[in-house]
This record gives sequence, structure tokens and C-alpha cells, in this order.
Amino acid sequence: MAGALAGWLTVGLLVAAVVIAVHHSRRWRAGAAAEVDLVAGLKALPKRYLVDVHDVVGRKPFNARFHALTAGGFLASLVLLVLAVVPWFRGPLLWGLAALALALMLAGALMVGWRRHVVKPTELSGGRFARLPVSLIAYAAGLLVVALDRVAGGALPHGVTLVLAGVGLFGGADLLVGVGRGPLKHALHGALYLVAHPRPGRFSGRDRGGERKRDSALAPLNLDDAKLGVEVPLDFAWNRLLGFEACVQCGRCESVCPAYAAGLPLNPKALIQDLVGAMEGGAADYAGHGHPGRSVAGARGPHLPVVGEGAAIHPNTLWACTTCRACVDACPMMIEHVDVIVDLRRFETLEKASAPGKAPGVLEELRIADNPGGFPAVRRIDWAFDLALPLAREREKFDVLLWLGDAAFDLRGQRSLRAFIRLLKKAGVDFAVLGEDELDCGDLARRLGDEATFQDLARRNIARLEGLSFRRIVTMDPHALHVIRNEYPAFGGAFEVVHHTALLLELVEGGRLTLGSLSGTLTYHDPCYLGRYNGVTEAPRRLLDMLGMERREMEFSGLASRCCGGGGGTSVTDVAGDRRIPDVRMEQARETGAACIAVACPNCTVMLEGVVGPRPEVKEIAELVLEATE
Amino acid sequence: MKMRRDPRSEREARRSTGGERPRFSLMVLKPAVGRLRRSPRIVRQAATVSISPRLRIAWNGRVAPQASGAVLAARAPVETMRVVAEPAFHVLVVPDTDGEGGLSEIDRQLIAAGRSLADSGGGAVCALALQGGDDLGGAGADRVIAVTGIEPLAYDPEGRTAAVLTAIAILSPRHVLFAETPDGSDIARRVAARLGERLFAGADALEAGSDGDTRALRRAQGGSLAQSAKLPRLVSIMPDAFPLHAGLPHEGRPLDEVPMGAADRRISASRPLTVDPDTIALEEADFLLSGGNGVTDWQGFADLAEALGATRAGSRVVCDQGHLPRERQVGASGTLVTAGCYFALGISGAPQHLQGITRVGHVVAVNTDLHAEMIKRADLAIVADAQAVMPALIRLLAERKGGGDD
Amino acid sequence: MIRVAALLSIGRHPASGRARRAGLDARGLELALRMPNAEVRAFHAGDPHAASLRDYLGMGLETLNVLNVAPGCDPVPALVEALRGVGPDLIICGMRAEAGEGSGMVPYLIAEALGHAVVCDAAAIECASGTARVVQGLPRGRRREVVVTLPAVVLVNSAAPAARAPAFARARRGRIVPHPVEAREDAFLAACEMRPWRARPKRMAVPSGGSAQERMKALTEAKAGEGRLLVNPVPEEAARAVRDYLVEKRFLRGAGDGDGRG
Repeated sequence: MAGALAGWLTVGLLVAAVVIAVHHSRRWRAGAAAEVDLVAGLKALPKRYLVDVHDVVGRKPFNARFHALTAGGFLASLVLLVLAVVPWFRGPLLWGLAALALALMLAGALMVGWRRHVVKPTELSGGRFARLPVSLIAYAAGLLVVALDRVAGGALPHGVTLVLAGVGLFGGADLLVGVGRGPLKHALHGALYLVAHPRPGRFSGRDRGGERKRDSALAPLNLDDAKLGVEVPLDFAWNRLLGFEACVQCGRCESVCPAYAAGLPLNPKALIQDLVGAMEGGAADYAGHGHPGRSVAGARGPHLPVVGEGAAIHPNTLWACTTCRACVDACPMMIEHVDVIVDLRRFETLEKASAPGKAPGVLEELRIADNPGGFPAVRRIDWAFDLALPLAREREKFDVLLWLGDAAFDLRGQRSLRAFIRLLKKAGVDFAVLGEDELDCGDLARRLGDEATFQDLARRNIARLEGLSFRRIVTMDPHALHVIRNEYPAFGGAFEVVHHTALLLELVEGGRLTLGSLSGTLTYHDPCYLGRYNGVTEAPRRLLDMLGMERREMEFSGLASRCCGGGGGTSVTDVAGDRRIPDVRMEQARETGAACIAVACPNCTVMLEGVVGPRPEVKEIAELVLEATE
Repeated sequence: MKMRRDPRSEREARRSTGGERPRFSLMVLKPAVGRLRRSPRIVRQAATVSISPRLRIAWNGRVAPQASGAVLAARAPVETMRVVAEPAFHVLVVPDTDGEGGLSEIDRQLIAAGRSLADSGGGAVCALALQGGDDLGGAGADRVIAVTGIEPLAYDPEGRTAAVLTAIAILSPRHVLFAETPDGSDIARRVAARLGERLFAGADALEAGSDGDTRALRRAQGGSLAQSAKLPRLVSIMPDAFPLHAGLPHEGRPLDEVPMGAADRRISASRPLTVDPDTIALEEADFLLSGGNGVTDWQGFADLAEALGATRAGSRVVCDQGHLPRERQVGASGTLVTAGCYFALGISGAPQHLQGITRVGHVVAVNTDLHAEMIKRADLAIVADAQAVMPALIRLLAERKGGGDD
Repeated sequence: MIRVAALLSIGRHPASGRARRAGLDARGLELALRMPNAEVRAFHAGDPHAASLRDYLGMGLETLNVLNVAPGCDPVPALVEALRGVGPDLIICGMRAEAGEGSGMVPYLIAEALGHAVVCDAAAIECASGTARVVQGLPRGRRREVVVTLPAVVLVNSAAPAARAPAFARARRGRIVPHPVEAREDAFLAACEMRPWRARPKRMAVPSGGSAQERMKALTEAKAGEGRLLVNPVPEEAARAVRDYLVEKRFLRGAGDGDGRG
């Protein structure tokens, strides 16, 4: 009796859940059109879930376990309970299987409860999520007893099993109705989002050296569109909105965000929830950490501007992002926070020109002088007069084009470039530079949302590069590397680009550079645009290990490296926080006790060297390698 | 052609006549043929500055007047002033005012430029007087014309335009020179527009043209091109482009005062605004009090800035820490400042910071580290704890304001 | 309602030499756009196809009237004609153009032709009925307020608030309205000789007297700063040294002068 009732009620609950989900779907289906291959997405769903999602979830093994137990047990129990509607199935076997599923789920639910109420990681949200273990345990425990009772052939009094079934189904109701607003929302929307993900490229397996292929290039914006960028929530494509709905508020993004760690007014989790709230309109239904130093958001609704002083997202939140992709990399729901930030910035910059700080001036200089400082083009090369750099335009054919980047305008950057150029000469590399013909790669403009300036710079750079005959480009700037390697192809420029650390490794391994041995300790700071954006974390380490120095790792390293605070235009938008991002990072470097922090990006060099007080010495890898060759 | 010396005839030339024994004078009387031998005694005598209380000899030739008095007296009477009695033409010079009525540096340059134009053809420089008592003659002016009816120190561009037009009407000068300064350039353009004449604005140099006439040179096209033209009547002159008058003073004779012609005044009232130094943008500020890591008492820092009447600024670290807003940051990544005085408290002087103060006039630095770059850069460097100097300086300034000078 | 005409020219980037919006004209437009109750019309004399005009539209102008004056021609008669048709109370433009001759005469000639008053070095403008209060930005951060009877031409300098950044989308939406005009060649400019500017050595005031070595020393020593150094003085001594230095260099007035610098 209780068993059949439980079955029927489960069916009823599932129907209710479907109704709620369909009703709820109107919110995200109202988003802008997007080209999505649903069939391919559906086919790829199991792999996307089992490989890609699990790869992220599995970084916290305890979580992976309780998730597998709880979700697996819950789904299995639902199926079995629905089968219990059919009298033919009802029998000890069914109830035995149900009891097993529910027992596993109970184990998982207890782990969830232990984590939420005993361990209490600070990044977790409260509210409906605080109730989650209760509902899970009620469902699993209540129905487990009912199932066991059925297996035992009805040992318990009818009243007791009815009450227990009621308790269990009450818990189940809380869970299933939650597909609209509760914790279970992530399951349905997460699955749909995996099918319709806006970046299918990020699931396409592994490539060289076992490093995961990173689909990190920003999508080009059609500058002829009626509206540029995202103003109101409904300007987002529907599958992006779906992604926001998928957020399970696990807070992994919050705990890896460099801006949040430094007390800048940005919490990626709250950002996504701001957008969920904006789609819904009305009061906030979010019980997690907000953006540091910011009170709850202002007016919001699906047709109201997202960004503004009194809107869903404060401009400072938007401009605090370093675009380091740590949140994207940490998100088990595969949400693309950086795309969201850049879409919003595009509207702010292209439609309102409201980028803060020095950004407007820098963008204007980029547009008119082709470099962010407004320097004469010759300044990119005049410091290297004594090096007599071969100019690409005077060479018919050469092997390597050295992309100088904006570091060439900076005294510190020139020092690193000088070291690398000396190494190139030592190794006898046939290289040339564009010199005055080199324009800014456009990274800064693009991250600041100025797609128009970026596309202009990109097209002109591509035209210049295509007129030359060389094999590949080498650069010391991971930002330039990323933009030329991954973002220029959308504009017709396909170039092989290597980072200078890769080239140096090649030269050393090929015997063209001989290294002596250095002593001391070092730690390596992974640049975001080399590591997370391009998956290169091992080559620099291999090169460093050849120097004979003891390498120590910081708390956040490799793909999980923490940003120096110099990316995404944050050094020009200059949003204030409790601390500076580079100070936070330097703290981690200090903790290793290493005497030297090896960097591989001019932005990181400048940011980390700007940290005052006793600290490890900041050295570019090329500078260290040069030291080792001398 | 060097002649061979004949010691015997030289000796004969020195022979004193009369007397029983042969006597020879040791003084060199007049240049003999050939090169003279250096006489250490005479050289020493000429170089002697004083013999009491002790003998001083200046071998570098800088000899005090009393020692070389004989030489001065031997010269022909000195011309002390140049007079151009009958000028072929006039060059009218319209000095700028520096707000205090004195003759400013650019005014002197202006008169000197007028001088060179006048001297090329026997002309006279006539300066428009704004105020008596200035050494216009010393700066090279032959005449001074005073136009009555304008307040010399008031901001009255329309009145001054009328005064210049009056002077032009009276003198019919061949050239009129203005200073290319904020106020001077305004007057120049008003006059040019009123006369419907071309103004050669911001002349940087004068040069001789191929056909013998004077051409003026200015920067055009945002400074990338040099534009040269035959010098028109109206010219304004860039500051620091022309050397000062170095020759003898000129007459500077005042002409009869002329009443000013009618001025159509539309600018009715003007008053200087008191500007809180702390609200001035760093690029504009003249006196910056800049704080760095060595400052901990930021209220005291603000008080000191107020007492000094200085604009507050700071290093990157200080702005990062939020003690000062970002727009107060000096340096390569902040603002490049052009202040007349930069008072650095507790700033060690990172290269990026020093890049921001390359165009500063005077640097005063207080820092605990003797080897800090800022100490090396400073005109007045004090190795001390900025935090201790601040209150002492506030007290000192308060004392001075409260009572008399110490 | 006050009728404002903004005169906009095409500037020139000092480093790249490329065309851009002229900095001072943009500041002028910024002042005009901020003015409450103002009907702003913008004029440019030159090529209507110039891309950098879009930067002005990007600041929020809906239309920009371009008088199609050929390069090397005198833009003043055309501008005067166009402005006469509008009858503005206030004409705002930058002190000086960045490109072309850049003599800064155009606004004065327009004012003369239209019989307007001229105020230069404006940093802020506030209009009342029939008059405007203009705050002038003077060197060294000083400010002066003047009242001028309208109509007037107000010339903006770099003390005026920075111009808002142009937005790409607004620039795209704005309209450029070309007006064909007749303009004569500027005979003076045609007679001028143009050549690339070469920096000349800076002229220094050479002290007279003394030996060559001393004159050289006098010139070069001043450059290196006096380099006075006090090591570990008591704070009072340090304070006095600083005070005396500042008084000597006239950054602090002597006693009894009251409220510091003027």
C-alpha cells in the first residue's frame, strides 16, 4: 500500500517537476538566438558529463564521492519508485534494489550534511541550500525504511510506513520542486547546458603533451549588429542564460577568484546569481557571499540594464575582473564567466564608453597611436639600437619573428627582452622583428570590451604579418601569444606562435644553448594566458628544472595558478579593493620560502615587482636562462 | 713672421742715459721687435689682489678693480647708453604683464627681439608702458609710450587691445611684437582680428630670407612642420626663443602719454578665484607635497599640505593603499608632473616615480635612507624621518603665521 | 534655452601624426554637452569624409554640420556664414587647432565678423540670461572668473574638464551633414614655406663675465641642482631648512603675507 502510494506520488512529483521546469524555461528561452547543434550536443552529453564535468568535480574527491552517491542513488530510486507504480514490478527485488539505491543515497546525503553543517566551507551558499541535506536525508531515510519494510514483507505497522513514506516524499517534493529555484535546478539545467553549451570546443578532448585543449578565444562581435554587447539580461543568448540557471552555487569560483581574494568588489558566484536574479527580477534570492564591499544589487529585471550604479551589477564589479579564467576553469557547471564579463564590457565600452580609470585614454591611444601609451612607433625598437635587431621588412625570408609586444615600451620589459634577444643570438636563431611596423596585438582593447579597436588592430597586424615570409612567431608576452594564436584565426590570420619559454626549451634540448648550473631556490608563477588560456604549464617548468635550482610550488600553481592582477585591463581600470592582487600572490610566493620567483609574462613581472617590502626577487625566465649560459 | 731677437740692441734700448756707470732699466718699455719675453714680475704684479693682511694672488686673471684700475683708466671714455635719435621706423613691443607689474623674462626677450629687428635698419624699439619704473631702456627699448585709461594690473583684454590699437595708430610701426603667453596671445589675436591683418603667431626664430628680407619661423601642424614666411607686421613671439638684450642700455625715453581710444568692453567683471591647492589637477599644480612609504600620519600630511598651500600627491604604493586617491599618483603609471617645486616626504624614488618628476623645477626630499634615489635627485636633501619632520614643519609654519618672523 | 555652437576641428596625434579629434575642441564640446538647457549644434570646416569626425559623434552628438572647405582654403567666411544662420548665443571651441597652421586666429576672426565678445582660456562656463560666467584656467593652477555679455565666443583650454570618451556605437549612429560652401584659397598660407621641423638647441641665458670655464660651470651646475644635503638633523633644524629653502625659491611667502601663494 505504502509502496504503491510512494510510486504514484513520485510520478506526481515528477510531473509537477516537469511542469515547473517547462514553466521556468520561459525565462531562459527568452534569451537571444544562438546557433546550437542540439543533436551533436545530445550525443556528446554523456561524455561531456562523465569526462569534462567529472574532471572538475573530481578535483575535490570527497565532493565527487558524495555527488555520485547522492545523485546516482536519487536518480536510481526515482526510476525504481516509478516502476513501483506497475503492480507487476512490485516485489522484493524492486524494493531490494530501491533499498540499495536509497541506502547509497543516504550515505551521500549524510556526507552532504557533514560537509554543509560540520565542515562548513565558507564559499557555500545558505538559504535553500542549507535545507538540502535535510531534504536529502528525509527522502533517502524515509523511503529506505519503507523499501526495507516492503522487502521484509510489511513488518512495520501500516501507520508507521505511511508516515515514513510521507516524510520521504516530503523531502523528495522539496528536492523535485527545486528544479525551478532550489538546489536541484542545477541538475536539469546543467544537463541542458551541457547539451547546448556555447563553447562546444572546450569538450573536444586532449591534445599535445596530454594537456587539455583550451577553448579560450573570445568570440568575435559583429560590429554591424544593431546593439553591441549585452545591455539587458535578455541580450544574452538563451544558452548563456541556461548556463546561469545551471549554477549550483558551489563557490569554487569564489575561492579561486584573485579579485575576490584581494577584496575587490567581485565574486564570480554572486555575479552569476546577480544575473539569475536579473532574469527573474524582484528581490534577491541568494544567500551566499556578495561582492566584497558592495551591498545587495539595485533594480533588476529581464529588460533592465544589467550594469549600472543602481542596477543588478555595479560597474566596479564588472571592471574588477582580470579575465584570468580561474573561475571558468574551476566551474563544475562549465559556466563561462569571462565571456559574460566581456559581453557586458562590450556594451559598456562600445555603446556607453564608460570604462573607468585610465581605460578611455588608453583605448583612444590604441586607436590612434597603435599602442596603449601613445608613444611614437619607433619607441618600440629604439631602446634596442645597440642590439642592431634585424628588421623583418628588410629580410626576404627568416625563421622566427620576434613579437616584441608592449613590454618594449617599458624599462623593465626591455631588460627581459634584451636577455631573450641575447639568447637568440647566442643560439644562432635566424630571427627578425617588425620594429616600427608592429602594432599592439589588441589584447587590452578586447578585454576592455573595445571590439572595434581590437578588430582594427588585428586586421592590420594580420595584413602586415601575411606580407612576410617566416616560419613561426615567438613572443615573451602570453597575452600576445594567446591573441595571435587563438583569436586572430577568426579574422583570417593563421600563424604558428610559440612562447619564448618553449623556444628556449627547444634550443636547450637541441643543444644550441648550453646551460651552466645556478644555485638557490625558485618558484614559478604561471601566467594565466599561458597556463589556463593555452594549457602550457609543463614546458616552463622543464626549462627551469634544467637550471639546477630547487623548484618549489606555490599554493596555487599550474592550471590553478592565481593571477598577478595585471590581466584583463585591470591595471588601467584600477578598481580598488582591500588589498592588491599582486600582494596576495606575492604572499603565496613568500610562503614557499623561495629566493626567486620566475615569471614568464611582462605583465606579471611588472605587477609582482611592484610589491613592496621584503620579497623574492622577480626574474623573467629568459633572464635566468641567460644567467645560466654565462 | 717671427724675427730673431737681438739681445744686444734690446739691452741698448734699456740703457739709462746720464750717470757715470752704465744703468739699465728692467721694465719693459714698449714692444720690441719679435715676441716679448714673459716677465714674471710684471705678471705677478698685475695679478696681485691685495698685499694686506696677507698677499693674495689670483693667477686666473680675475683681478679686483683696485689692482687693474690703471688699465680701466687708460681706456677711452665709455659709451653708457645708446640713443637712436632719428629712427627710420618703429618696432612696437607689447609687453606681457606678469600680474605684478614687473618686466617679465618674456618681456625682455620681446624687447630684445624688437631690438634685433630695429637694428637691422636703423629703427627704434618702442615699448608700450604698462607701468612706470621698469627698466625698459636697459632691456633695449628706445622709446616708451604710455597709453592712459587702462588699469595696468586689471584683467582687461579689451581695454588693452584698444591701447595697443591707439599706439599703433600713433606710431604706425613697421612691426608689432606680442608675447605668445596666455594673456599676450589673446591681445595679439584681438588686435589682428580688429585690424584684419595676418598675425604671425608664435614665432620661434627670425632668419634672413634669400632676397634679403627677414623671415619668421614658427611651428605648424602640431609642431611637426616649420612654417616660414616674410615677416608680417603683427608677430607674436614664443617664450624662451630669443636671447636677451646684451648690449648697452638704450634710451627708454618716455613719449607723451596718449589717451586710449574707445574700447568696447564686454567682459564686465573679473576676479581671481581662490583655489584650494588640493583641488588642482596634478598636471597643473605648481607646488606638490608628495608622500611615500615613509609617511604614516596621513592627517598630519594633509595638515602640512594645507599649511604649505601645496597640492597633495603620492607614490604608487601610497595610492594603492588608499591613503590618497589614484589621481594623486605621481609617476610613469600615474601623472607626469611639471610643478615648480616637488617636496617628497618618505619617498625613496623608484625609477617609475622619478620618471614622473623629470620636468619638476626644484626637488626637496626628506627620507631616512641616505642612498635613496630621491635624495640624489633632490636640490635640498634631508636624511631624516619624514614622520618627525612633518610636525616640526607644521609648528614652524604655524609660529610664523601666528607671530613675527623668528 | 541657450543656443550653443561648437566649432570642431580635426586634431593630430603628437606621436603618430594620425588624425584624431582635437583635444581642446573636444573639451569645448564636453562643456557644451554638459550645459543645462542648451541646444548644441556642431560645425566643422573641412572634409566631411574625415574618419576622426566620428569621434565627436561618439561623444553624443546626433549631427555634425560639415562645411566642405577644401584644404588650404580659408574656413572663416564659410563658418561666419553658417553661424550667422544659426545665431548662437555662445560659440565654443578650443584655443588652437592641432593640425594645419594652428595660429588660433579663427575664433577671433569669427567673433570680429559676428560682433561677438571673446573670452579665452575657459575652464568652465555657466550661462545666465544675457551673460555668461567663465572661469579661466591660468598657468600654475590659478583660476579667474570673468563675466561676459552674450553673444560671445569662448575659447577652451586644457584646464577644462577632460572630454568624455567617444563610444563606437554612438559614433556609428551619429549623422554627418555636409554643406557645400565656396571658399577661397588662403594666399598667405600658400606663400608660406613649409619644411619638417627640426628641434634647435635650447637657448640658455649665458652669464657674462668670468672665464669660459666659470661660465660653463655656472650653466651646468644650475642644472645639476644645488644638492644641499643635511644628514640626520634634529626635526626642528630640518623643518627650518625646508622652510628657508621654500621661502628662498618663492614657494612660500615670507612672514606676514597671509594665505600663501596668490
